[in-house]
Amino acid sequence: MSLDKLKNRNVGVQNYKMLDLGHTPESGWGKFKQVLKRSVKLELFVGLKVTIREMFKALFMGEMHTVKYPFEKLPISPRYRAIHEMKRLLESGHYRCIGCGLCEKICISNCIKMDTRYDEEQRKEVSDYTINFGRCIFCGYCAEVCPELAIVHGGRYETASEQRASYSNFEDMLTPMDELMNQKEYPGFGAPTPVADKNIKKTPLAY
Amino acid sequence: MSDNLITVTIDGIECKAKEGEYILNVARANDIFIPAICYLTRCSPTLACRICLVEADGKRVYSCNAKAKDGMEIVTQTEEILEERRAIMEVYDVNHPLQCGVCDQHGECELQNYTLELKVDSQHYAIADTKRGNVNWSSVLHYDAGLCIVCERCVTVCKDMIGDAAIKTGPRGGDKLDKELKDSMPKDAYAMWNKLQKSVIVPSNGTEHTNCSDCGECTAVCPVGALTERDFIYKANPWDLREIPSACAHCSSACHIYYETRAESIDNPTEKIFRVKNEWNYQTLCGAGRFGYDYENTTAKKDPEALAKAVEAIKSAGTIKFNSTITNEEAKMLQTLKEKFGVKLVNNEVKPFADFLSHYSKAAGQMLYKDSFADMSECDFIVSVGAKLRNDNPAARYLFNNIQKMNKGAGMYFHPVGDTLIPTFGKSIQTFEHKPGDEESALLLILDLFADKDKLPDDVKAKLDASKEKRTKTVTEKVMEEVTETVVDKETGEEKEVTKKVPKNVKKEVEYEANSLVEKLGANPETFEDDFAKMMKKKESFALVVGEDFYFHPKSKNLANLIALIEESTEFKVAFIPPKSNALGVALICDLDETCEGSTVGYNEPADFTISALGNGDFDIPAMNQQEGTTTNMNKRVVPLNAALDYNGYELNDIMNALGLGKNLTIDWTECLPTDKGFQLAKFDDLPNGFRNDKTENRGYVLANLSVEKSGIEIEDIEDNALEGDIAYRCNPQRQFNDFTNKAHQIFEKFALYASKERAEQLGDFVKVEFENGGLELPVEVDERITGDIVEIPDFKSELDVYGLFGKDRYAKVTITKV
Amino acid sequence: MDGYIIATVIKAILILAVISALAGFGTYIERKILAFIQRRLGPMHVGPFGVLQIAADGIKLFTKEDFIPSGANKIVFMVAPIITAATAFIALAAVPLLPEFTLFGIDVKPIVSDMNIGILFVIAMMGVGLYGPLLAGMAQENKWGIIGSARTAIQFLSYEVVTGLSLLAPIMMVGSLSLIDFNTYQAGGIGHWIVWTQPVAFILFLISGFAETNRTPFDLLENEAEVISGYATEYSGMRWGMFFIGEYANMITIGFLASLIFLGGFNPLWIIPGGLAIILKVAFFFFLMLWVRSAWPHIRPDQLMWLCWKVLMPLAVINILITGLVMMA
Repeated sequence: MSLDKLKNRNVGVQNYKMLDLGHTPESGWGKFKQVLKRSVKLELFVGLKVTIREMFKALFMGEMHTVKYPFEKLPISPRYRAIHEMKRLLESGHYRCIGCGLCEKICISNCIKMDTRYDEEQRKEVSDYTINFGRCIFCGYCAEVCPELAIVHGGRYETASEQRASYSNFEDMLTPMDELMNQKEYPGFGAPTPVADKNIKKTPLAY
Repeated sequence: MSDNLITVTIDGIECKAKEGEYILNVARANDIFIPAICYLTRCSPTLACRICLVEADGKRVYSCNAKAKDGMEIVTQTEEILEERRAIMEVYDVNHPLQCGVCDQHGECELQNYTLELKVDSQHYAIADTKRGNVNWSSVLHYDAGLCIVCERCVTVCKDMIGDAAIKTGPRGGDKLDKELKDSMPKDAYAMWNKLQKSVIVPSNGTEHTNCSDCGECTAVCPVGALTERDFIYKANPWDLREIPSACAHCSSACHIYYETRAESIDNPTEKIFRVKNEWNYQTLCGAGRFGYDYENTTAKKDPEALAKAVEAIKSAGTIKFNSTITNEEAKMLQTLKEKFGVKLVNNEVKPFADFLSHYSKAAGQMLYKDSFADMSECDFIVSVGAKLRNDNPAARYLFNNIQKMNKGAGMYFHPVGDTLIPTFGKSIQTFEHKPGDEESALLLILDLFADKDKLPDDVKAKLDASKEKRTKTVTEKVMEEVTETVVDKETGEEKEVTKKVPKNVKKEVEYEANSLVEKLGANPETFEDDFAKMMKKKESFALVVGEDFYFHPKSKNLANLIALIEESTEFKVAFIPPKSNALGVALICDLDETCEGSTVGYNEPADFTISALGNGDFDIPAMNQQEGTTTNMNKRVVPLNAALDYNGYELNDIMNALGLGKNLTIDWTECLPTDKGFQLAKFDDLPNGFRNDKTENRGYVLANLSVEKSGIEIEDIEDNALEGDIAYRCNPQRQFNDFTNKAHQIFEKFALYASKERAEQLGDFVKVEFENGGLELPVEVDERITGDIVEIPDFKSELDVYGLFGKDRYAKVTITKV
Repeated sequence: MDGYIIATVIKAILILAVISALAGFGTYIERKILAFIQRRLGPMHVGPFGVLQIAADGIKLFTKEDFIPSGANKIVFMVAPIITAATAFIALAAVPLLPEFTLFGIDVKPIVSDMNIGILFVIAMMGVGLYGPLLAGMAQENKWGIIGSARTAIQFLSYEVVTGLSLLAPIMMVGSLSLIDFNTYQAGGIGHWIVWTQPVAFILFLISGFAETNRTPFDLLENEAEVISGYATEYSGMRWGMFFIGEYANMITIGFLASLIFLGGFNPLWIIPGGLAIILKVAFFFFLMLWVRSAWPHIRPDQLMWLCWKVLMPLAVINILITGLVMMA
């Protein structure tokens, strides 16, 4: 094997396609012909035509692109990753979070903290939970790792704050009790895939 | 016991091993992985999990109880074995709650680990579940039967190591396995399941609560989240905790521990110790070590005024009073102060021990006792003298028990305060409940029983001979006697004469050699000879544990000489239990004085000016979990302590710096420890702190046992100075050692007078105890394991100056009145 | 005579006020038009349809700190924007903005001074305008400024030639330098517009007009991508604003010149009265400049020079020759 192959350091697949731009004229006469050709074809006016057409579309055909942002908002994808929400169990209204601490562990910007305790009903209670949105990079790992689909991303993306460190507490992230009926499942990271049922292995039961 | 090395091949790797070693331990020592759930390195094989299956010379054996033989070829994985192991893990996963998220073991769970290791990704077995509830076994133990996989590690450790045997397997009430399974599923998995389906763990006393020393070792060994510490439940996940290797500072065994710290909560980011962990395969903790960790000094601040005052106090002090809860470095600093300023150093806990040690070294010609406790685990006969094993030193007690269980050992326990726990350790244990003051006789008896008589001086030999006399005793013997009876045959009606041999008990007078020492020490001389002969069967190596009673004894010099004589004339391995945490270090480093003089500065002791790590003194210093340093343990090892928590105040080294005697850091003193006492010129940062896979301890360094000038062994005559009347014994309850354990929130043992049940009933609830030089008022608590009339008075509160009341003796005549 | 002076002063003030207001309004129009062409809305929130955005910008410009770099030549730095603005307005003095009309019985000629060298004056004044950017760039001790002023010199001086030569042919036809004469020359309706007889001159004038007013595709003086802000790099506040008033005033001037010289000026157009006609024409040229800006990329300095000296100037000369030959024939 020759060393040429090794010396070619253009690694990766070279899928470039060259556009047919013609050749650049070299002689003065050639240049003149090119100018003439372009002028006769009125290429400059094609540009003017395009722009004026767009203006007409915008003004008279209702194809204005502008969204007046704070007053009107575009719908966002349901899989969008914005400020977190804590879901509740629909049956009981109890929060879904079991305090396993996986989100806290997986968080790559280390912004999730939780306190848990042994409560009177011998269960693990999440006594405090906070996310520092000053640090959060909205990577979605917490939602992905959550075994209970408890912490998910919501759609509230306006996160400007007066302070660099902006916190959210457990209570604020939980679905309000009166909104429980409208609570929706998050289809993004961590949600069961449409083929989840097919992929699961069933555990035998003795009942 | 033999030191012959053999060679076995495990997975193609040649391994050297001692003969009689279990295959599993050989593999572990050579970094070869064999899965095992139920086996604990220093305990007997339980054979509950059966997952440690290997193939030795083509035969399937359990590596935890199969001994390695020379030339053995061992394969740890074959297809068949893997199938078996996978089936076992599948069975373990049957009905195990899928609540890993809330389980405290989540992340360090062996069930999780092995399930993944053996690639269990689907379940083939099922059985109806049984309701199994949660229960609090004691003030610190919590058992969740639902999570339990009945590996019985807790039962094994409690029996083989701790000696409480407070838990056992009980009925589960589960469904019976389908009989077809026996043929269809792997055999070991079926056997394991069959057993699992029948049992759960229950307290062995038949109640809901364990009657034990609350050491928490069962929670440490539990592979799943079934056994947990009540205080730790659901508080933190293991991966959040920062693991800081250190040593426990409460008693002289200075066990290796890990402090596990984390920010206390979201609101309070200061580091807090959440729990203490240990290397349970190599080191067993007691309750004080495991639960007495939160004694840190939180009030300390850097206040230059307080520093100036402390410096002034030390400059003008006549005496520095301290105790043994101190690092070697601090002790060295105090010794430096003595050398520069001539202050007296007074330490009530250590002084008698230091004296005892010096008597001993003069008699034995070496600075320290010959052996260490670590060497004794192979012994099969252990004798304990002068130690209240259950209370004084948990490690010595575990050793006593472990020898009985693991080495089929025997033991002799000499102590005036009767203890019902010791005899339960094994079948061949002889306890001597002698009178306080008769300790010398105990040593004489040991000489009589074990010494090579040729090596003994004549006067001792004479004494021993004098104690023997011929007596007769009545023995019952079985004799076969021929009896002739007339029997009527029922069918034929014929009468027949039948001759039978019938056993009959015959009493017989036998002459025997009685030992008056045995009688004096409270045992029955009639049966002792035979019992002792039984105990001595097949015994090869002997251990002698010497306890605190001997140091705090009016005749301690004579006792020291007798010990030296025993060491010289018998095969005993001898080790002393230093009275409190760093007593050995202090005894070696500091030159202690008898009495106080002038104004006193107290170092963790109440005095005119108190320097204290408890946060209540005039000047704050760091507690043992907040500072770096070394401590000297009873295995003659200098082990490092690491700082687990932040400390914001001054240290003793800052005072030393203000006096112009300091070093840059406290740990710079580590290399200044006296080499003429056996210390090494090692830097603190170079000290290792851990264990190797083959069980060897790799912590700090071992003190060199230097030889000293030998001045000969002189044995004084033994006077009859046994104490009579109401006697108090200075002894802490289990899990209490000092002010620091008392500060910890999970140590509940009260400062009270502890007595046997009967005695406590006589005394009432609250008593006044009067000594020769003062008195104490304290409540009465029952310790069910005490027998006899001697009462125990703790010394863990330094403010009450219990040492002052007892003087240089552990026993005191007292008057106890009801209040 | 007194009445003439008073009327002239009033006219001057009016032109100053109206044109500077229009220049400000021009920025609004530009933003709006460009937005529409890009299918955006442009300024919307200050006043109805964002009209008061100009006021907001004005307040902003006026209240901004007047910043003079420490290494700058202070006097020149301060004077330069005034030159730009002043020359732009002075040029308008010789331009008839509307047809004559009667107000309160007085005939009003909406031209400050109908001098007989009107065109020459206007072109000369716009030529003097190059001193603004030139001095501004050189005074501010900033490398971008220096590059900007160098570009000013070459661009303005070069295209001055094309402007002059392209207008020579119409001037030859009309035989006068007064713009009112030009207007009168084309009074006969659309058919008499000079653009029909001088299309080449019209195109050349338009192209050089773009260059003179520093508009895309010839906005090399302060091209952001290349020279930050060129001659205006160190300027802020109202001084910076004056450059832009000058630029927009020049745009309006060019609009008027093109309409007057080539497109029939303020002669009535069918039913459209002359006043409205010229405003529409000027508005068209203004729009054209914005339209072109949105459609075409700007060119390199060397292409600019090539275009000027190798294409436009020869064409202009040829155009003059042909015009002369035709007129002689």
